[in-house]
Amino acid sequence: MKKIDPRVKLLFIVLLTTLAVLAKDVIYLSIILLLSILINLCLKTELLMAIKRLRHFLGVLLFIAIVQSLTIKGGTVLIPIGNIALLSTKGLQFSLEFILRMSIILLSGLIAASTEGREMIDALLKLKMPYELAFMTSISLRFIPIFSEEFRSRLNAIAMRGIDIKKLNLAKKVKVYAYLISPTISGCIMRSEELAKSMQVRGFRAYKKRTMLRELKMGAIDCLLVVISLLFAGVFLAGMYFHGVLVHF
Amino acid sequence: MQIKLENLSFKYNKKSPFVLSNITYTFETGKLYALKGPNGAGKTTLGKLILGLLHPTSGDIYFDDINAKKISAGKRADSIGYLFQNPDLQLFAPTVIEELTFPFELKKELTDEKRAEINLLLKDFNLSGFEDRYPLSMSLGEKQRLALATIMSRNVDFLILDEPTSSIDSEGILFITTFINGFVNKGGGAIIISHDEEFLSSLNNVTNLHLHGGVLDEKN
Repeated sequence: MKKIDPRVKLLFIVLLTTLAVLAKDVIYLSIILLLSILINLCLKTELLMAIKRLRHFLGVLLFIAIVQSLTIKGGTVLIPIGNIALLSTKGLQFSLEFILRMSIILLSGLIAASTEGREMIDALLKLKMPYELAFMTSISLRFIPIFSEEFRSRLNAIAMRGIDIKKLNLAKKVKVYAYLISPTISGCIMRSEELAKSMQVRGFRAYKKRTMLRELKMGAIDCLLVVISLLFAGVFLAGMYFHGVLVHF
Repeated sequence: MQIKLENLSFKYNKKSPFVLSNITYTFETGKLYALKGPNGAGKTTLGKLILGLLHPTSGDIYFDDINAKKISAGKRADSIGYLFQNPDLQLFAPTVIEELTFPFELKKELTDEKRAEINLLLKDFNLSGFEDRYPLSMSLGEKQRLALATIMSRNVDFLILDEPTSSIDSEGILFITTFINGFVNKGGGAIIISHDEEFLSSLNNVTNLHLHGGVLDEKN
């Protein structure tokens, strides 16, 4: 299958995340989520691997969802404790919407991660973004795994000091993590400085006019995908408006 | 102390090939081992398996006949010290003295006796007067000495040193050579992962181990 133009991927990301933020209905959000899964499958992104990794955040998502359930009043009380509604239909609906919305945003991030750094720069340049900014955007994505690697190495270093982080109480855990933040950030800054130096010695910004080895060209499939996705987004927005499930700002 | 590897095999994921396959070997205290092999042969991986930073795909590791599966990485570090190839990754406290004291502070083991021990370590590792320095701003040799001091603060029985001479000067190499020889003479065990033949030849009574194609051979 021909590679999809990275600009089309950017359009998918913008549309999916915008719709996810604007929709306040579980059914609409579920359809958007299904679409994001479908797009990820078509683009052969590392969907399964991402889901496996995301299970670590599932607890946090559920915690926020429960807090939403507790704080948002309305609807039928499902689980009462005395006069307090522990879980209500409205709260449940809000927490479901929250989980669906976050999942869509995370899956959209996966689409971005499936785009090679170089392709992303080319796409942003075609969208008239200045080269330096396009390069910074692409590099910032590259730094996410670097940051995670730095942090993991330091967690290993903590274990190598004879500290079993899982067995520490919350206050001590916070103290250990506080110790880790500063060197992790300084490690990343050092790596970025090295990258800047290496870019300079390779002639970054040495010439005002840049030429491209590969020029991005939208093919017929790309154009078709743009039209379909814009039409779909339009129909979706109209549907949400008529059903009164569009977020009001 | 003995570290026994029994039919130890490891691969990073289901699709990747075995980095280590069916390794059976026993490391003992009082001995010095040089672990050699080409890049990517699995030397560091073997070290990380012993330390509990990675888990075997199959096979077992025993510490004095106790299966290591039951021992967390944090607990293993009480008896095995690991010197990272890049000491930057090993240091995180804002000052040298905190670098040495904070694990004991966390465990509420920072007694006056421990403080005295730490002061002695600072002296032994030529770090007296560095107490308030920011560890990551020190030279590579100084950082490595500090990393070693943090390991020795736990009175470990075994050391695993990953490429300890890769980024230090001749003075630093001399220091680490003397330190390793002294540690083994006092009854400790050490595994040195290194390509530096000159450095390895300056160590006493080395048992040479060669890791190649996932297999470990003893060559003397």
